[in-house]
Amino acid sequence: MATATQSSWHVIARVCASIFGSYAFTWGFIALGASSLIIGGTAFHEASSLTSMLGFLVYLWAFCWAFIAASLARVWVVLAGGGVVMTLAGWWLSRSIA
Amino acid sequence: MFANFRLSFAWLHTWFGLVLGFVLMAAFFFGSLSVFDREIDRWALPETRIEPQPMPSFDTILASRFAEIAAPEPEELAAASKRSTQPLPEKLKPALFGAYTTHRDPVLDVFVGFEVPNSTLPNDLAYGSVVIDPRDGRKLPKDRLALGSAFFYPMHYSLHFTWYDIGMWIVGLAAMAMLAAVVSGVVMHRKIFREFFTFRPGKKLLRGTLDLHNLTGVVALPFHFLWALSGLIIFAGVYFPVFDKMLQPLVEQHEREEARHTGLDAEPSGVPGTLASVDAMMIAAKDHWVSRGVPGEVGYLQVTHVGSSNAYVSIYRDSTDRVATAEGLHFQGSTGRVIFEDPPTGAAETVNGFLTGMHLQQFRHWTLRWLIFVGGLLSCVCITTGFIFFVEKRKHVHARQGTSGSRWVDALAVTTVTGMMVATLATLVMNRALPEDLANRDLWEKSTFWIAWLTALTHALWRSAAVLQARMSKAWAEQSWAIAALGAVAVVLNAATTGDHLGRTLMAGYWPVAGVDLMLIASACAAAIAARKLRARAAEVVPVNPEVPDYA
Amino acid sequence: MPDALLLAAALACTVIGMGWLSLAMDVHWIQVRATRRSPRMVIILRVLGAASLAASLVLCLLADTATMAALVWMMLLAVAAVTIALVLSRKPALLAPLVAAFPQSP
Repeated sequence: MATATQSSWHVIARVCASIFGSYAFTWGFIALGASSLIIGGTAFHEASSLTSMLGFLVYLWAFCWAFIAASLARVWVVLAGGGVVMTLAGWWLSRSIA
Repeated sequence: MFANFRLSFAWLHTWFGLVLGFVLMAAFFFGSLSVFDREIDRWALPETRIEPQPMPSFDTILASRFAEIAAPEPEELAAASKRSTQPLPEKLKPALFGAYTTHRDPVLDVFVGFEVPNSTLPNDLAYGSVVIDPRDGRKLPKDRLALGSAFFYPMHYSLHFTWYDIGMWIVGLAAMAMLAAVVSGVVMHRKIFREFFTFRPGKKLLRGTLDLHNLTGVVALPFHFLWALSGLIIFAGVYFPVFDKMLQPLVEQHEREEARHTGLDAEPSGVPGTLASVDAMMIAAKDHWVSRGVPGEVGYLQVTHVGSSNAYVSIYRDSTDRVATAEGLHFQGSTGRVIFEDPPTGAAETVNGFLTGMHLQQFRHWTLRWLIFVGGLLSCVCITTGFIFFVEKRKHVHARQGTSGSRWVDALAVTTVTGMMVATLATLVMNRALPEDLANRDLWEKSTFWIAWLTALTHALWRSAAVLQARMSKAWAEQSWAIAALGAVAVVLNAATTGDHLGRTLMAGYWPVAGVDLMLIASACAAAIAARKLRARAAEVVPVNPEVPDYA
Repeated sequence: MPDALLLAAALACTVIGMGWLSLAMDVHWIQVRATRRSPRMVIILRVLGAASLAASLVLCLLADTATMAALVWMMLLAVAAVTIALVLSRKPALLAPLVAAFPQSP
């Protein structure tokens, strides 16, 4: 099985993307998802249950995608970048009810 | 990463499966034991070998036990002082009383939550607890370790590595790797339907091992996936504390609305108050459940805002007949009047409750609980065969090249498979061998576990030198003999130290202890049979160029 | 009917169902019967297998509430599949009674 085709740095970068990039993306998904649902009128516990359960499936998808995507740069932009954007959006939304 | 996504998934499956497989073995082995955690507790604590009891009287028994718990446990206090911005006062104020029992518990867990002032977390509590005999309220000594519920069970989700919860994070990552291993395994296994029932042990070890890995992985696939996922979901608040860390305005708004809607105040009133008869409330709760067509016992009892005029008592049914936990009934503390009954939950919360209840399986359905136990063992077989396949596939190549990768993996595999069982059994043996009234008995037992595991690791490392010549390490067979011997000794010691030998427990129908003894005997026999076969295999002459099958 | 009997029957149906499904595959059929068979026989075996698994689900639902029954059935499927795989690997002849009613040759 081909293991030596990639440099070690690339492998480490993929592993970091899959573990930490996915975490950032999932955090953002939960933050934005829950804030949107609650502001939209969904009950608090419904929103938190739904977003956390889906969150783990989102993490799984991101974790796998980080390895099968052709471009590592795209992986980082989508997972880490998307995570930051969603986190900020969710945070801003939660402050908007004050 | 690679030329096609199947290769990428193969890399993911192999390397995450290998590295986190060691953690997953612990999670699934001790998780399987946890199905019978209360039963193992009875075996380890002979003074608790009584029948399961219903929740006892609050007014005559529990109230005084709660009052006697003066402070949180030392570890709780230490952790709380880290979360507090000021030094903690001498005496902390009790804010919450709780008592929890199930249909399998002879003894009762009773705890008090103390307010942590100036904490960085909202509504922060530090807990002190005691275990009591519900029949008379007698307290059990603190240093008696409930090996099942207080040692093996927390091991499976935290590895007892509690410094900053790092163990829980490691297990969490391992659980996610398990989910990814299931997905990637399905992608890699091209003949998943054709080889659904395929197991060819007669052929080469490599073929038979891969067959067994695929078989156990595929037939129990829903189990592997659901238990890993539900385990993560149960600890969602730990892994993704998004609400507490970032969405506080939403949490506060929810708490205000909830207090208004339910009549249950979020904060204590600050005005002292008295507690009406909680026993009367328990009777009212049971009558209510009967009128709803779901008669039952009290499973969980909580008093919130202890000592305040707005204290309330929450009573939950021990839900033995359904998967999810039951809704609660909330009473006004000072009058005993029902303030609020939890309504049926919405769709997402119901699914969440189902997955949680499924994982914790506190329901009374022994067939299902045994099936879940078997599922856990199938997972262990899947992980173990994964290790064995990894080593067998590479050891000839590594032997020729003079590299030692497969040697180290083999040593770690022995340590996490047979070694873990050796450590578990050594702890059970020590539990019976130590004098009953030895001080710090719990520390002795825990130390035995870790020392035995370390010994197994050392032995495995030493014996794995054989793998460098592409032979089988003798550690597999030798540790299997140790398992057989320790299992037999444990059963004998139980009979010798408690008199509850199998003859007596079977006649009396006391299944917790009889069951553990029978499992020990069955395990010892299986280990002995395995040991003989493994010894024969280790002595085999190694073929020069064995074929290596393609991934199926 | 007491729950224990219902669940025992469910287990039996699941094991037999998995047995039929396995024998619908050529590689396992030849472990039990040396002769070939017609495509119609394969379809019959698959239908019998599926029906038996469905019957097992019904028995589980009779014994317990829907959510518990679903879990029990899911675990029974796993246990039954492993059982049949082990039987096929050790003593396939044990499955001969499952196809005793089938004609000897096409």
